[in-house]
Amino acid sequence: MRYLLRRLVTSLVVVLGVVTITFITSRLVPSDPASLYAGPRARPEQVERVRQELNLDAPVVNQYASYLTDLATGDLGVSFATRRSIAADLVQFLPATLELALLATGLSMLIGIPLGVIAAGRRGARTGSKASKARRQRSDAGIRLFAVTSVSVPVFWTALLFQMIFAGELDLLPLSGRTSSSVSFREWTGFFLIDSVLSGSPSNVWDVIKHLMLPVAVMAAYPLGLTIRLIRGSMLEVLGEPFIEAARLAGIDERTVMYRLALKNALAPALTILGLTFAYSVSSAFLVEAVFNWPGIGRYLTDAIVRIDFPVITAAALVITVIYVVVNLGLDLLQVRLDPRVELD
Amino acid sequence: MGFRRLLAVAMGLSLLATACGDSGSDEAGSGGGRFVYANPFPISDLDPSSAFSSENVVLQNVYETLTTYNPPGASDLVSGALAESWEANDDATVWTFNLREGVTFHDGAALTAQAVVDSLQRTIDLDLGAAFILLPIDSMEAVDDLTVQFNLAYPAPMDLVMSSNYGVYIMSPEAVSQDDAWFNEGNEAGTGPYTISSFTPGESTVLTQYEDYWGGWTDGQIAEAEIQLVEDPVLAEQLVRGGDADFTYNLPFDSYDALSSEDGLTVVRAQSMTNLFGLLNHERLSPEVREAMVLSFPYDDVVESLYGGESSRAQGIVPQAVWGSSDSLTLPETDLARAAELISAAGAEGTEVTYSFDAGTTEQQQIGEVWKTNLADIGIDLVLDPLTFDARWEIAQADPANAQDVFTMFWFPTFVTPYDFLFSLFHSEDAPFFNLGYYSNPEFDTLIDDGDAVSGLSPDEAADLFTKAQQILIEDNAAVFMLDVPNTEVISSDVEGHVANPAYANVVRFYNLTR
Repeated sequence: MRYLLRRLVTSLVVVLGVVTITFITSRLVPSDPASLYAGPRARPEQVERVRQELNLDAPVVNQYASYLTDLATGDLGVSFATRRSIAADLVQFLPATLELALLATGLSMLIGIPLGVIAAGRRGARTGSKASKARRQRSDAGIRLFAVTSVSVPVFWTALLFQMIFAGELDLLPLSGRTSSSVSFREWTGFFLIDSVLSGSPSNVWDVIKHLMLPVAVMAAYPLGLTIRLIRGSMLEVLGEPFIEAARLAGIDERTVMYRLALKNALAPALTILGLTFAYSVSSAFLVEAVFNWPGIGRYLTDAIVRIDFPVITAAALVITVIYVVVNLGLDLLQVRLDPRVELD
Repeated sequence: MGFRRLLAVAMGLSLLATACGDSGSDEAGSGGGRFVYANPFPISDLDPSSAFSSENVVLQNVYETLTTYNPPGASDLVSGALAESWEANDDATVWTFNLREGVTFHDGAALTAQAVVDSLQRTIDLDLGAAFILLPIDSMEAVDDLTVQFNLAYPAPMDLVMSSNYGVYIMSPEAVSQDDAWFNEGNEAGTGPYTISSFTPGESTVLTQYEDYWGGWTDGQIAEAEIQLVEDPVLAEQLVRGGDADFTYNLPFDSYDALSSEDGLTVVRAQSMTNLFGLLNHERLSPEVREAMVLSFPYDDVVESLYGGESSRAQGIVPQAVWGSSDSLTLPETDLARAAELISAAGAEGTEVTYSFDAGTTEQQQIGEVWKTNLADIGIDLVLDPLTFDARWEIAQADPANAQDVFTMFWFPTFVTPYDFLFSLFHSEDAPFFNLGYYSNPEFDTLIDDGDAVSGLSPDEAADLFTKAQQILIEDNAAVFMLDVPNTEVISSDVEGHVANPAYANVVRFYNLTR
């Protein structure tokens, strides 16, 4: 409990630090938020009036204090470019990105963990003929090549390639968007997979799944490659431990050795980095969102950066920081559950 | 779960993509009455009083103005929209507009003169966006239910002002009292042929027919239009190719040739009212250096190499699509020998000249690079200085003597008049605003002010005055007039009735379309 409390306090310090740095940076950039709000050809007196209305003429310290006060009450302010509530915008855009990132991370683990285990098993093959060992090592090399390719190929390139093949040539999947124009259902959660299920219409669910396939597959590529490499490396390390040797000598079958003993021990150290890839996926979603016209937080943030819309940039940075911090904390707690040797200190 | 089963599930999921049936392409843009507009820019502000960007794509279909600017080739500059007729007094300081009968707002209220007064007053009070075009108004009054009178502080062409893309939309009395948040939630109460049936910020806006529209409806008109945000031009191109979208623009220029030979698509090549130019700093550059700069500019190369060769050389500061432009001006030609002589005579060899342009704007950068080569030949070193517009505007406004030498920028008129270009960019200013070449010439000021005063009553007389003023700018080497930007669009061939009107660039009036 003390540990948790201490972590929460340090997390708050991290969040406050990021908010402060973003706020200060936004004030250092040579741009005038009052001009942005007033419009592209606003007269000097118009801009001055807006500056007063938005409290932008106050000393920066006062602006910072009032920003923190608003933040403490959950008020993220309004966008200078669209004048919409940022909180309302985030409620709309964040679930779209989280849905993508969660599914991509889940998919990468679902495929990446078994492949990592297989690669490690093949690499450390101890039984069988010379030819069989060579064959197994070739399949390890094949999986490693696949992993390196997944990590190395730029996301936008994969996205365009998938669009060209699955939406263009084969005409199997939709090119972009979250649903077809003809499909509509009530957005209870903003997670369309859940909302479409709640709508009770199988055709809605199918439409949502079809729209998710390509962006999820593209977004999963990087964490998939990373998962394979991490699990493989971690497994090889564990497979060299004396207790694995002892288990094998005791006659425990290879599958139990690999999945019950080795994987359980290999998973814990890999988990931290794998968890952070989820947070990374959220913060780097903009490329996938741009190519697939996915209305998520990545596109929301890049639009704000292009327009130098400070309140939005600061709020989005805050949200992404909170996601990182929460994921990090959650992973630490999960590690304790998975590995009794890890203590909360 | 056993490993093999786990693997089977994983493989099954990844293969599901190839096992699925029909694509989404059948569902978008089909059904005869539905039109999908792939919009490269977000709808940022739906408040008709303050919107000052690409949201006119929506607003022009939902709201109406008193007049509309006609496409090139029409006999009159403007036609009536909510106003059936109008007249001005002899010095264009009192304007009376007679409203159309039987018009209703989407909330059921009737169009009245008071609603017009209140709508415009809302724009004036908010004082955002394009509110400055209403500055001439001293007072407004509803003479009777269907007659509005504008009393102006000075002469102004109110028939043209009221055809603007921004700030002059008429809304219902109920909507006038709403704040911007109400509009930006997707609410509206205009008189236009379409209502907003759904608005998802950053995603799409869906418009449906307003049944009681005063113009009436006939078979074949677009029943529903979706304006979908598609920022990636590659995706927008794929959408129109695949039939998932019916209209888009802002594609790479080399795409248009391929698209024009595509079945089911029509490429519309039109003029725009946007131009590109470089204002020359009169505080820093001597007349000889300015002339040398003008003579060293590679006019033909720039026109040929940018915008797929579809732009045209600027004929002065007023684009050819704007009334009052002139094709009879004496323009400078590229003449490096003469430019070198001028530099030599001025003893300006080795001078460093800064070229301020928008970071990330390819056209401005390419122009800078080509021009730099020519200037190097005459002994001038052009230093390219990319910054955000806000940053360079701030520098340009701060101290002309220490500012940039060339300020490159695009310009379009807020309402269609040569005066918008001439006044904003070259009229004498006490403190720099958009006259960022710091040009000042009382003779020029008088000519354009006189032209503006008569432009509402006698456009031909105004055009003559504006032409004289433009020739003065050319002779004074006030700027390098680079090019008029083309406007190219792609639209489904099965749709008829779209007219690319440069006054409302990229606006599709869905009411005029039939399929």
